[in-house]
Amino acid sequence: MKLTKMFKQAAIVTAIGASVLLTGCNNANTVAEAPATINGMKAGGHEYILTVTRPNELHIVDTETNKLIRTCDVPGVFGNGGIAMSPDGRIAYVMTNKWEDVYGFDITNCDIKFSVKQSYDNVQVKSITSMAVSADGKELYTVQNPVRKLPDRFETMEPRLAVFNTNDGLNAKPVRTFPVDRRITKIGAMHNGEVILGGGDLKAIDPQNGKTRMIKALQNWDRAPDKWVPPDAFAMHSLGEHVGEFIMPYFTIRWNGAPGDESKADFLWGHVRIDMKTGEVESIEKVPFEFIVFNWITDPHDKDVMYGSFNQLSKHNVKTGETINVQAMDHTYYNINMANDGKTLYIGGTSSDISVHRSDTLEKIGSIQLTGDMSTSDLRLARLK
Amino acid sequence: MNNNKTTRALLGTGALALAGLVTMPAQAADAESIIRDRCLSCHTETGESATPFSRISEQRKTPEGWMMTISRMQQQRGLVISPEEKRTLVKHLADTQGLAPSETDGVRYLLEKEPNVVESFDQLVQETCVRCHSGARVALQRRTEDEWKHLIHFHMGQQPTAEFHAGARDRAWFDIALTNVAPKLAKDYPFNSDAWNNWQKVNKKSLNGTWAMTGYMPGKGTFDASLRVSKTAADNYTVALEGQYADGTPLSGEGRAIVYAGYEWRASLTIDGVKVRQVLAASADGSALEGRMFERDDEIIGGSVKAVKGNVITAVTPSYIKQGERKLVTISGNNLKGNVQLGNGVKMLNVVSRNANRVVVLAEASKTAKVGAINVKVGRTSAKTALAVYDQVARVEITPSESIARIGGAGGPIPKLKSAYRAVGYAAGADGKPGTEDDLRLGYMPAAWSLKPFDEIAQHDNDIKYAGTISRDGVFTPGDAGLNPERRMSTNNVGNLSVVGTVNDGNNNVQGEAHLLVTVQTFVKPVLQ
Repeated sequence: MKLTKMFKQAAIVTAIGASVLLTGCNNANTVAEAPATINGMKAGGHEYILTVTRPNELHIVDTETNKLIRTCDVPGVFGNGGIAMSPDGRIAYVMTNKWEDVYGFDITNCDIKFSVKQSYDNVQVKSITSMAVSADGKELYTVQNPVRKLPDRFETMEPRLAVFNTNDGLNAKPVRTFPVDRRITKIGAMHNGEVILGGGDLKAIDPQNGKTRMIKALQNWDRAPDKWVPPDAFAMHSLGEHVGEFIMPYFTIRWNGAPGDESKADFLWGHVRIDMKTGEVESIEKVPFEFIVFNWITDPHDKDVMYGSFNQLSKHNVKTGETINVQAMDHTYYNINMANDGKTLYIGGTSSDISVHRSDTLEKIGSIQLTGDMSTSDLRLARLK
Repeated sequence: MNNNKTTRALLGTGALALAGLVTMPAQAADAESIIRDRCLSCHTETGESATPFSRISEQRKTPEGWMMTISRMQQQRGLVISPEEKRTLVKHLADTQGLAPSETDGVRYLLEKEPNVVESFDQLVQETCVRCHSGARVALQRRTEDEWKHLIHFHMGQQPTAEFHAGARDRAWFDIALTNVAPKLAKDYPFNSDAWNNWQKVNKKSLNGTWAMTGYMPGKGTFDASLRVSKTAADNYTVALEGQYADGTPLSGEGRAIVYAGYEWRASLTIDGVKVRQVLAASADGSALEGRMFERDDEIIGGSVKAVKGNVITAVTPSYIKQGERKLVTISGNNLKGNVQLGNGVKMLNVVSRNANRVVVLAEASKTAKVGAINVKVGRTSAKTALAVYDQVARVEITPSESIARIGGAGGPIPKLKSAYRAVGYAAGADGKPGTEDDLRLGYMPAAWSLKPFDEIAQHDNDIKYAGTISRDGVFTPGDAGLNPERRMSTNNVGNLSVVGTVNDGNNNVQGEAHLLVTVQTFVKPVLQ
């Protein structure tokens, strides 16, 4: 079967990959002027990498030194460790308590400025990573999946977009809710005020009135079923903040012969990429499905170049489908992000270390050890203004 | 707090395996009053005489199914119930809201803890349900359509990520489950059925008496034994097993059994110091008990067993004889009296030993004996095609052909999950070509066991060094759990292997292969997977 062969090739590529050379050199971000500081943290656009580890701690890493500079205790039990940043890079909204609660931390001092307990009465409410902050920072959005727990049975309720005012402080309640599709994971707030709903299809909802429009049909795309398999679109983590975009990766199969004839088929990664400022949408399937990735991130200097990580760190030209470079990893990493200068890649998730790489050669240049496993947590970039 | 301590103590004992629930208290509380006392803080009385309790009264399950439900209520819904009350309730519900024997046909492997069964269900059920748990877990329940729908809603509350898994998120999983699957299950596995109505009317036979049992235990071999069953109370028995393995090693054990729904035999025995379970089904006429016997603490180590009453041959061991060969053949069964007669071309030279349960004879097949399966007779008792006369072993099949073992141990809480193999020999049959329909099954044959990498990745990653070892009895023991820094990406001691069984047939060695995937632990182990 072709798919199996591809996995084999991918596995062997990793197996014979070059050994890692640790240079210890850091990729400092050049800052033209001495930045202001907030509570001792460099501000003025200084960049930090944020993640959450078990048992339940928010960590802040300085991208200049690649050192862990602050750790905040997150209330509740771990899960999933999703993070959404305020536009000023100061408040990190962290998903906790088995995908139910959200706490907003001032990353300069760990103060909790905001909180939401989504479950109420006999209704269990989970958000499957779906969390975003509006471009003006005034609203927080989650997609809620409620289930009513009646005394002797469950009753599944309709999912909804919940809108919170970020200045409502602790125990905030939704100020508006609107019905949305099931199975939404990854959401993002565009500059025009709409919220992207990433699920089976990509839609946008106006959080003022709940009006929804289709951005890009994926599961329900209008392609000949004897030529294309409807995509499996899924991503756990919302990334793209370093270049102001939203990417939803998906997997599809193009039948070049008879449907089901895998010997003649192409197994392809596709993605929908949305510019959060302009709303411009790009959709393309070129990269061969030879690598498992959970996400793509875009090179700030060349939009055609993307990086992905899982068992390998790989670099692709998404327009031509060319695999530019592959780097074997020490273990599985679910998550990836990069600094805005485009030089440094941060690979995290799964285990307890963030692996730091040069984006040009993919060479490993450092490692940041954390206190616990990141598991499914986000790995987000905060630019502290 | 005292209350909490009590709750924990009850939860602890409530996790007893079902086959251990063999002592019915003399003054068993009435099951319905237990439901009223323990369950109605959440469930309600419906006022309907046919279905008096909400949810509870519109489902039928196996004893293990009811056990799972009540255990979940204890662990997750705050039910406090004593072990005695729990036993009473499982018995009552399995007896009055159980499954008819025919309703468990084809899916008993789940109750029997049979490993490595490759299931094949209807595509809709396979894709919606069986991607996470066994299809048998579904097929061993009966519910009204509303109840099947409640179960779908239960999944959304209990496992909120269910609709986000691969194989679910690429479709409208919840809608499909609710609108397509639930009605189908209500039709395929209905709450009201003739099978159950009729079975309830059947006058169940007592299982008292002495049975002839044959079976197989990995590492020990085939055995025959007499199973003495003595009734102590309604549906409760003491059992004693005395017999021997094929190599002459004696086998002895005793224990207790309880029968649910008139046929579901669950026994707990200690055989030669090892605790074992029997999950058997009694036939409607009360003349046979069939199922699987396995070690309590290592469920993989087990095999099929059958017990019969009356005049029956249960096994002929070995089940094959080669042209021109002279060998000892053991005939096992019940009330074995009279002359032993073998078929064409196979002579019975003399009886080496005999009693009512086993006759050992020296048999000889002539060089020109016809290839084929012959009947074996002891007096008037006959076993059809019980002894295969063959020219040569043409091919060997290894069972199970697809298998999984799981790493474990190494100080962790989850033990290793082994896998066990047997070799089945075949002669080529009349067409002289192995692998065709007329191949003659010779039965289980002794084999030498080895492992090899399944493919080039397994070879490259040196899985053979880490994934585990196979014993001379064909039992594979996987490697230790945990990361292994010696391996690429510090991976666990997982592996992709071929199990090779080599059967010696005169001057020939004939090999068969099975696929073995050594993988990580199962971290959730329900009573029914």
